[in-house]
Amino acid sequence: MARKISMKQAINEALDQEMARDPSVIMMGEDIVGGAGGNGELDAWGGVLGVTKGLYARHGDRLLDTPLSESAYIGAAIGAAACGMRPVAELMFIDFMGVCFDQIYNQAAKFRYMFGGKAETPVVIRAMVGAGFRAAAQHSQMLTPLFTHIPGLKVVCPSTPYDTKGLLIQSIRDNDPVIFCEHKNLYGFEGEVPEASYTIPFGEAAIVREGKSVSIVTYGLMVHRALEAAAALAKEGIEAEIVDLRTLSPLDIDTVIESVEKTGHLVCVDEANPRCSIAADVSAQVVQAAFGALRGPIQMVTAPHTPVPFSPVLEDLYIPSAAQIGAAVKRALAGGRH
Amino acid sequence: MTTIGLIANPVSARDIRRIIANASNLQIADRVNIVMRVLTAAHSLGVERVLVMPDSGGIRALLQRHLARGHSQHQRWPLVEYLDMQPTSTVEDTFLAARLMHDKGAAAIVVLGGDGTHRAVVRECRDIPIAGLSTGTNNAFPEMRESTITGMAVALYASGRLSAAQALAPNKLLEVSINEGAQTDIALVDAVISTDRYIGARALWKPEALSAVYLSFADPQAIGLSAIGGLLQPVGRRDPGGLAVTLGHDPAATRLRLLAPIAPGMVRPVAIAHWQAMPAGQPFTVAQQGGVVALDGERELAFDPGDRVQITLRENAFPTVDVARCMQIAACEGLLRLPSTP
Amino acid sequence: MAAYPFPLEKPALLEAYRRMRTIREFEERLHVDFSRGDIPGFVHLYAGEEAAGVGIIGQLGDGDRIASTHRGHGHCIAKGVDPLAMMKEIYGKKGGSCGGKGGSMHIADLSKGMMGANGILGAGAPLACGAGLAAKYRKKGEVAISFVGDGASNQGTFLESLNLAAVWNLPVIFVVENNGYAESTSRDYGVAVDSYVDRAAGFGLPGVTVDGTDFFAVHEAAGEIIRRARGGGGPALLECKMVRFHGHFEGDAQTYRASGEIDDIRANQDCLKKFAAAVTGAGVITASELTAIDHEVLDLIERAVVEAKAAPLPTAADLTTDVYVSY
Repeated sequence: MARKISMKQAINEALDQEMARDPSVIMMGEDIVGGAGGNGELDAWGGVLGVTKGLYARHGDRLLDTPLSESAYIGAAIGAAACGMRPVAELMFIDFMGVCFDQIYNQAAKFRYMFGGKAETPVVIRAMVGAGFRAAAQHSQMLTPLFTHIPGLKVVCPSTPYDTKGLLIQSIRDNDPVIFCEHKNLYGFEGEVPEASYTIPFGEAAIVREGKSVSIVTYGLMVHRALEAAAALAKEGIEAEIVDLRTLSPLDIDTVIESVEKTGHLVCVDEANPRCSIAADVSAQVVQAAFGALRGPIQMVTAPHTPVPFSPVLEDLYIPSAAQIGAAVKRALAGGRH
Repeated sequence: MTTIGLIANPVSARDIRRIIANASNLQIADRVNIVMRVLTAAHSLGVERVLVMPDSGGIRALLQRHLARGHSQHQRWPLVEYLDMQPTSTVEDTFLAARLMHDKGAAAIVVLGGDGTHRAVVRECRDIPIAGLSTGTNNAFPEMRESTITGMAVALYASGRLSAAQALAPNKLLEVSINEGAQTDIALVDAVISTDRYIGARALWKPEALSAVYLSFADPQAIGLSAIGGLLQPVGRRDPGGLAVTLGHDPAATRLRLLAPIAPGMVRPVAIAHWQAMPAGQPFTVAQQGGVVALDGERELAFDPGDRVQITLRENAFPTVDVARCMQIAACEGLLRLPSTP
Repeated sequence: MAAYPFPLEKPALLEAYRRMRTIREFEERLHVDFSRGDIPGFVHLYAGEEAAGVGIIGQLGDGDRIASTHRGHGHCIAKGVDPLAMMKEIYGKKGGSCGGKGGSMHIADLSKGMMGANGILGAGAPLACGAGLAAKYRKKGEVAISFVGDGASNQGTFLESLNLAAVWNLPVIFVVENNGYAESTSRDYGVAVDSYVDRAAGFGLPGVTVDGTDFFAVHEAAGEIIRRARGGGGPALLECKMVRFHGHFEGDAQTYRASGEIDDIRANQDCLKKFAAAVTGAGVITASELTAIDHEVLDLIERAVVEAKAAPLPTAADLTTDVYVSY
């Protein structure tokens, strides 16, 4: 029986173990150590939410605090990766991608292809995603679809501490650019995590709950909302199968299709906004590849087409709820009506 | 119209001494501020027109922006007239500007730059007094002075309120001649013989490559190659004669070594073989066969083995505006006093 | 006492000339062939700027990295990328430096430390900071060079990179190739103060301005800056004032340039003519030695074009390869 640790601790452990194992792994980001240049403590923060605290004591100058310059330091991480290092850069909030997106999608993502297969860019960009912190519109988005869309990037979004550690270690060892999404609302969530180092391959979804009535396909925080919904539905005799995608690119569409072939009904749940979401992407792929398996229309449950509101009551309405997921399941089963 | 000239060199203080030593870099924006202060000060004392050397190094463009902005702030300055010439971003611009200012009757020329820029102006225009402001890397010749005061002093002279006898000071220079005048040039402070034979990035800073230093004056407080003389046997700007120093490369010929500030931030030992006074009018023949003569700190004239290179000191060779004396006289003679009501 | 007038020995002078001449003839040939419609897409030619590229890059080794601009052919050739492979790349053929999948604006050769020409202006500056960071960890005295133009010096990435390099003391050299035009817009309009040395000074970095058409001036200044960076002295900026002979892109009618301007710069500011005059005037190299190199280079370029035109096109299978190392 493995011990239980939080997702935050799982991230810290993965980084610690990989840095110990491989001297080419370095980290950089704003305040990942904290207190640089000041008169107080060094390692004052260990990241804005303390995720990287303690790593500086063990790995010293392989952790670099950066000035407020995403373009420059995300680009530097990418450049260093192209020169043989394995940097793990932190983009504090995925919402900040706007100021450095070129380096990610026009440079890192495209080097291997544009340079005819002769480049390797093994960079990991960790970023906090998701709503629920009352952090408002510019610090709460789920921008996974924007990165998933780009050929050349890999996108990972785990829902449990176990998946987090294994997928982060895999990300660091992977030789392509990886966007590693950490849901800020799951940092405190605890689960069983082995102490040893291990990896989880990309492109392998996990069935976190088996069922035969309906397939709920989702990722991140929504896995937990789906589990809540499934518990309620079970009381009404509806057994939902929950597929946790874990990696959005590469996407394990085969496991999704297999599940739909078993259940005949699909509900895609996504914390992102509806247009061009992961939910829309998975739904379209399933319809194209497995239309015959569907016994009713697909339902998508997403955040609304709005920015994330501040007021707690509004933010709680923004984030898809277990109740909304349950209602969507019933609509799916009823042929899409009501 | 009371007219003065203004030559602000954007190219000075941009060279390799910035990398070798911690030489200062007066930003373009600061140079333009200096120019603005000269313009407003000169205007206040009667200068009506300023002939300005155009450049493609950023000064003109920024100055235009300031002048346009300033009009809306009701600031006042003389008519600013750019010379009709195409800038090349080389010392040729300074040569041409000086000639044009001479031809257009400038009463005096304000120069912003280092030793090299001032040399270039004097070379083309020896009879018009210059007032120097140091903005270059090596500033042995021009003074560190607040440009507002320089503008005032120049205006007092240009407008006739001070006579030449009151306002101007005589200066020495070195004449350099290769092969009996086949090639000639001047230096205001130092003519240095270097064994390096390429002109490259121009600035000279390697003592092991120097064989002789000829100085029109040797100020112990100066920075640059003239410090080699200034810290050995000082000779003032108004003292007669100059100084000729032979450097020692052969240890047997070296009489002593001198710690000298040969470039900003660089204090190096220099081996000295011999030094002697340089009387005015007496040609000194360079012993080294083949090399480069550096004029006021920049490699300028290459010569081959067999060429005869001679350096001659000239006294009373060109006038400068003596800003300190101008202001002293202006104060003592009440030149700046106005009636109690306008 | 040195009697030899140049900082490079004769073989190095000949090599520098050869590289500059190779760039010139490569670009001039592209100019001709592009106007005939032979070449797909966009090309941005470096003709006129050779002395800066070769003067700087000629002092680097394979372990030193450069991040280039959209106008990258000159940097590639100076860094030792094979011109035959480059021509195939520009034609979009198999055997091109990037298998035909990058094109003129993305030619790269990581084995030679050429991190790529870049279609995004200013994007190379952070990448060069990364290369500098990697060099710092490797401790072999390697450096990285970021090339930008006067226009791209206004990009946030460039300014951020100056700060980052200063704060981390990276062995990165920022070279501003100031040819006076950002596409059609003159620097007099687009740059608040036309001094990149002053921008560097704002970050506490030293900077030098040189005449970019004078190979020896560039070589000397770059040499000192590179030496300083190798020794841990940190980043610096080198501004090369230069001229471009052709338009921003091929097909640019260049009506934004004064009439006679291009003829004047070809006549009076041709860096190759200046180099040739200096070395032949000093009696170190003869005109016929230079002419011999000119002929060899023209033969090489002709061969590059012939081979590029004859090379096979990529196949449909090539479309989907090399997006990832593994997926």
